[in-house]
Amino acid sequence: MVAAAVRYLSWFAVAILCCSFATASTGCVVVRAHERGHLAKRAMTDDRDPGETRFVGHERGSREGAEGGAGQPGGGCGCN
Amino acid sequence: MRLQLAFALAVLALAVPRARADGELAVRGVYYKEQATRVMQPMLDGMFDAGLHGVATGHFLVDAITSASASSGAANAQPFTERRYEGGLGYAHDFGGLTVGADAKYSTESDYISRYAGVKVQLELGQKNTVLGLGGGISLDTVSAAAAQGPSMPSLRCSASDPSETSCPLDVYALYGSASQILGPNTVLGGSVDLATLRGYQSNPYREAIAGDALVPERHPTERTRESFAASVRHYLSPTGTTVIAAYRYYRDTWKVHAHTPELRVVQEIGRDADATVGYRYYTQDGAFFFRDRYPADDAAMTQYVSDDVKLSTFTGHTLEAKLGVLGDAFELHGQWAAARFEGILEYDIQNNRFGNAVVAHVALTLPFTY
Repeated sequence: MVAAAVRYLSWFAVAILCCSFATASTGCVVVRAHERGHLAKRAMTDDRDPGETRFVGHERGSREGAEGGAGQPGGGCGCN
Repeated sequence: MRLQLAFALAVLALAVPRARADGELAVRGVYYKEQATRVMQPMLDGMFDAGLHGVATGHFLVDAITSASASSGAANAQPFTERRYEGGLGYAHDFGGLTVGADAKYSTESDYISRYAGVKVQLELGQKNTVLGLGGGISLDTVSAAAAQGPSMPSLRCSASDPSETSCPLDVYALYGSASQILGPNTVLGGSVDLATLRGYQSNPYREAIAGDALVPERHPTERTRESFAASVRHYLSPTGTTVIAAYRYYRDTWKVHAHTPELRVVQEIGRDADATVGYRYYTQDGAFFFRDRYPADDAAMTQYVSDDVKLSTFTGHTLEAKLGVLGDAFELHGQWAAARFEGILEYDIQNNRFGNAVVAHVALTLPFTY
């Protein structure tokens, strides 16, 4: 677990750095606060409420073999 | 003079009204129906400003499974009724570009108890153009067969070498990393890596598989490591007020389940006070390395893994979603009710396995308030 975590999080960090560098090098990285009207819209931040996200995760976890990918860990549930 | 100044400052401090804080309460009801299971889930979510830099969250829900099979899709399923209660609390503190948070969750039902605690850190870089997240959590669960029908509760073998017990532990250790990057005034890119290791009893205590001419209790491996890699892009089309969200997830685990999940959602603004969403999600997975429709006859040592879990078979699925959100302003409500959001969701799941198709419906009200 620890070895896998270090391995994947290292890859992840490298990928983020590469993406950030690539984006920065194009000169379009900084979108200033007054230009973020569209980015602040509900659909552009998170179009799902916490309750909807939680139910969807629970439902899909009880019907599908795959879990995760929502960007946050979750506790166990009685759906095995 | 100094005393007078201190007195004046004290009077001023008392005269200034206390800073008001914001909060939000959300009430949601969900109805879920599939071939063998029907669930009603009312839930309450709250979010409150705690001081100038803190946000506290909490939730409570009840899963009322009014007609279902304890063996979750098994061919020999019997109807039963059960309730699951879940509550959670969280707190996040903003240190100026760095947010540190923790949350805990407790869930209980007759045959499963889950206790979860986690921490997370979020770092904003480049004038918030880049946001990085890192988190982890531990879930300590207890599984039993207390919901079994019949005069006695079946015993469980927590692992192949253990004697029978009335309950078994299942520990989950999870880590995740996430990142979002603004690519322009209308585009955001996101990505995440999730990693979880499960150790302990992972079978369904009620389910049986066919081995030879007999039915034998399900025996899954007691270790599983799950990895998922997800990416998404959100793009706003200003001329039409449309947001397009495309996402993809790749999943794999040590039981040799591999899954691909592409998803597309389109959110359309309708005037100032409403939005409509349509979405499609495709899901496909390979079966676990030990999943079979029938197994050879069990040997005396019962060494082979046996499963009747539909989730571990090879299958594909399709999900269609429609959502409508309307602000109270559209109904000419006033005050805080003008900013209240009413939401309805209808979802249809198609799966080519024994679970069959499912319908999910949500209704929700989110009410912001000041205190």
